[in-house]
Amino acid sequence: MSEFRPTLRPALATKQAVASAALKLSPLPEGTIVHVLARPGEQDVVSFLGSLAKPAAHAVRPVSPGQWFIVHEEPMPHKEMKSLFAALEPRATGVDQSHGRVRIRIEGKMASRALSKGTAVDLDPSAFPVGQSAVTLIGHIAAHVTRVGPEAFEIIVLRGFAESLWDDLARMSLEFT
Amino acid sequence: MSSYRLTKGGLVDRNAPLSFTFDGRPLRGFAGDTLASALLANGRMLVGRSFKYHRPRGILTAGAAEPNALVTIGRGGRTEPNTRATMQELYEGLEAQSQNRWPSLEFDVGALNGLLSPFLGAGFYYKTFMWPAPLWEKFYEPVIRKAAGLGKASYESDPDAYEKSWAHCDLLVIGAGPTGLAAALTAGRAGARVILVDEGALPGGSLLFDTATIDGKAAADFARDASAELQSMPNVRLMMRTTAFGWYDGNVFGAVERVQKHVRDPARQLVVERLWRIVARHALLASGAEERPLVFGGNDRPGVMMASAMRTYLNRYGVAPGRATAIFTTDDSGYALARDLEAAHVDVVAIVDSRSSAGVDYRGKARLIREAVVCGTKGRKAISAIEVHRGGQTETIAVDALAMAGGFSPIIHLACHRGGKPAWSAEKAAFLAPDGLNGLDLAGAAAATTDLAACLAEGAARSQAIVTAFGLSCPPVVLPKVEGDEGTHDSKPLWSIPGVKGKAFVDFQNDVHLKDIGLAVSEGYSHVELAKRYTTNGMATDQGKLSNVNAIGLIAKARGVSPAEVGTTTFRPFYTPVSFGALTGAHTGHHFQPVRKSPLHDWAKKHGAVFVETGLWYRSSWFPRNGEQTWRESVDREVLNVRQNAGLCDVSMLGKIEISGSDAAEFLNRVYCNAFLKLPVGRARYGLMLREDGMIYDDGTTSRLEENRFFMTTTTAYAAGVMNHLEFCAQALWPELDVRLASITDQWAQMAIAGPKARTILQRIVDEDISDAAFPFLAAREVSLFGGALHGCLFQISFSGELAYELAVPAGYGESVADALMEAGRDHGIMPYGVETLSVLRIEKGHVTHNEINGTVVPADLGFGKMVSASKPDFIGKAMLQREGLAASDRPQLVGVVPLDPKQSFRSGSHVLAKGAAATLESDQGYVTSSAYSPHIGSTIALALVKNGSSRHGEEVVVWNGLHGESTPARLCNPVFFDPQNERLHV
Repeated sequence: MSEFRPTLRPALATKQAVASAALKLSPLPEGTIVHVLARPGEQDVVSFLGSLAKPAAHAVRPVSPGQWFIVHEEPMPHKEMKSLFAALEPRATGVDQSHGRVRIRIEGKMASRALSKGTAVDLDPSAFPVGQSAVTLIGHIAAHVTRVGPEAFEIIVLRGFAESLWDDLARMSLEFT
Repeated sequence: MSSYRLTKGGLVDRNAPLSFTFDGRPLRGFAGDTLASALLANGRMLVGRSFKYHRPRGILTAGAAEPNALVTIGRGGRTEPNTRATMQELYEGLEAQSQNRWPSLEFDVGALNGLLSPFLGAGFYYKTFMWPAPLWEKFYEPVIRKAAGLGKASYESDPDAYEKSWAHCDLLVIGAGPTGLAAALTAGRAGARVILVDEGALPGGSLLFDTATIDGKAAADFARDASAELQSMPNVRLMMRTTAFGWYDGNVFGAVERVQKHVRDPARQLVVERLWRIVARHALLASGAEERPLVFGGNDRPGVMMASAMRTYLNRYGVAPGRATAIFTTDDSGYALARDLEAAHVDVVAIVDSRSSAGVDYRGKARLIREAVVCGTKGRKAISAIEVHRGGQTETIAVDALAMAGGFSPIIHLACHRGGKPAWSAEKAAFLAPDGLNGLDLAGAAAATTDLAACLAEGAARSQAIVTAFGLSCPPVVLPKVEGDEGTHDSKPLWSIPGVKGKAFVDFQNDVHLKDIGLAVSEGYSHVELAKRYTTNGMATDQGKLSNVNAIGLIAKARGVSPAEVGTTTFRPFYTPVSFGALTGAHTGHHFQPVRKSPLHDWAKKHGAVFVETGLWYRSSWFPRNGEQTWRESVDREVLNVRQNAGLCDVSMLGKIEISGSDAAEFLNRVYCNAFLKLPVGRARYGLMLREDGMIYDDGTTSRLEENRFFMTTTTAYAAGVMNHLEFCAQALWPELDVRLASITDQWAQMAIAGPKARTILQRIVDEDISDAAFPFLAAREVSLFGGALHGCLFQISFSGELAYELAVPAGYGESVADALMEAGRDHGIMPYGVETLSVLRIEKGHVTHNEINGTVVPADLGFGKMVSASKPDFIGKAMLQREGLAASDRPQLVGVVPLDPKQSFRSGSHVLAKGAAATLESDQGYVTSSAYSPHIGSTIALALVKNGSSRHGEEVVVWNGLHGESTPARLCNPVFFDPQNERLHV
């Protein structure tokens, strides 16, 4: 079946964007998420990742001590991914999570109010400025939240929970839409 | 019917009339009314019946402490019993019903209980209804419960939505009275992040009924202007209709916001209540003070009201309490009430002051009776007279309303929620919050400061100190000028009133009266905690907000000690009742718990899968086809087809962990009891993971994809647990190892392709050669699919005992690849199969799951004794595995079980007894861990853990199920029922 071309089925394919003047909730393209795990004791990994990951096209999100996500809007071809993994070694290991995690964007002046219905993280810009990330529970679901703009957040969630989280976020946004 | 609406005055909107009903009777009120003020405005003095004696009760307070005026609001699923009429805002169409009465509020048969009161004193149920004993449950208790009670909850589901939310601030101010407003303004102007919460609909607290002026403005206008300024500040959040109900660790405060409890038709996009968790760097409790009732005979008669409540109804709602009002006071606040009543042209018949002199120079018309007390009242459903006791003489004075002013207790509940005990202040005659609270200050009346100007100053000063400590610069505080304040309220507590006539209530809501307290003390229950439980004082839904301090005072007096020595009972959340709806939040129905969906969920769905919840996962259980009547028909077909042709099963839920790093192999060698150090690249191995105590923790296959990269699978149930365990091992046990762990469960859609035709089917989509020679049993490699269009991981492993593979592909492509395999296998008879079939296949092969790995078995118990490495220097569980008890021959061991008669069956969980043994638990020799019908064997087959089972194959036993009364003759056997030589793995 070499002629068969497998088709991608995005986890949130059936979800309609939720949008109003105060808030917008939208699935982000299922591009690339590489989970980087540094060798214990490695220093300056962020600048190392920046040099590898074409800063203009990729973003580096802190996950936990010694761990980051490199995210990109476009899927990374298999060969390129392997090259990236090779370039990371031996300082770090790369693990493909492009399908294991789904990204959701929530933005607008009421975005942080809506998110506060789920997360205990203080989302005030003074405590959670642009570029800051946190791993947190949103309701019952673990997620990775990054402030990507003054009024915009990116949420990275396990694929299996993506639909449930979307439904929860839509409910949290209801009063603002 | 004596209370009435004044022709002018108050903050109600007289241009916005509202209709409502009480016990079905239509009444009118105004926007800005509470249900209580509207009832009073309509002359409704009688609003409820008491808990035990069914005595007529009226409205006692104007706030959250109300013990009497509990009513049921709404209908159907929106029925809300025990609503305090004093807190319920009036809205058009509100329907209220009185409670705990039959057949009507006016004529309540339960009032006969009053005649039985000699038998219904404190602790009566400990002394009476003792015999005949069986009647307690069948008769006495149901009758008592029916006679005594509150409102009834609805059995219909609540149609409204609730939610929870978090908020963060530098300063949380609780209470938007004068102190709280001053504090919030000070902090807000300094730029601090401020949250100001108040349970009322309007900010202002006591300013809403105070007749003083502030900077030349009416107090209520000052409150309005102050809140307008606060609302204009982006750094301040003003949250009205929000009750802060608890103080918790980490300076987190619980609060409930009544978002739409004041409207008839809640907007669908909004919740009706929201539960807040407010994280505050610092908090200021400005919750004010509660006025104390006085314990005289008939103090519960409708028309008797707290003096501050009467002043609230008069000044805020424009409602007069009656035509002839008396005031019984122990402090100066009674005179402020007299002044306001007279200013509104409401007759004040008498002021009864327990003191010999007052701090104010009263020049009104009322008769002033000093050094006197009210000892009793008269009237049936409303007060008609008071009995004044002075100098040994008793005088009766006709009245239709009575205010009582017994002094004030600071509202310190939240300050005591984290273990702090209130301290009695003889100077203030009140319990005060303990000193040195971390993260919480008190100010204003909550700190026993009662002078209005002092409250404003204290609120500002405390707030300034707090925000300055945060490093913020505070603009100079300019204190407003206060005029016309009635002054301080220092009072001499009057716990015990001489010459009391009739029942003098201490706890109105639980019908605890003076004699009950005396009885508790005389019977040895004088400790405050014992007295509480013996009398039920303070145990009602108001939690003794009005009654506790009087009970303590009375106990102190009876014991001849100070209230300080008696102390208080423990203060716990919640300050006022919180609905289950708010506590549940949004987690109902569809949002009750998250659903975890496999990437192959929709593939299974389109093939007609019946799903079963496994934790949060939805797993396909079986795939019924047309004509199949029972699940067993479907499962039998799927089982036979896997062994005859091939089946495809979604196994994406298995936990998957990528383990990398230069010490990954060494790490695995320590985690598993069997060897992993030398596992070749490209090979998979079954691994057993033990706990430190030697028992098996989890099992699964782990494959070496590269020298330093392993792909571990865990059971579905233990996926998160194993990940945590591995992280603990890596971070805490062996931090010196270079090992990195990543959960990849969700990255891969994983499918098992099992059956003799599996290879043929799979080869159609896999680019590499997967012949037995090139890709033998336990091979594990990355493979290219569809001519390089996709890459996945392929493992030749088998849970079914057939030639089988597991293929992992990137999750987003899972459905497409499963479709391709079904297409590739169409001519080979491929069918989807579910976890029921998976289970039958594995039981036929004697493969274990967590049914057998039940936390009490060691490897040898399951026949894995030889897997345990004898040569490894160490692994988790090695030391404890040496204990002699874990090697004893009579340990439960894995064994097969079949019924002697193939037509008979038995259930999992049944006990295994020796043949001829008595059917009792004492004869128990083990139990059936897993069972299924095997279409290949033609009968039920089972796995069991039985004492010394591995050496008892062939022995006849009895499978006994005491719960269902089933007893089945059976035989122990080899747990591998099918293909014991494993020949089918290599077809």
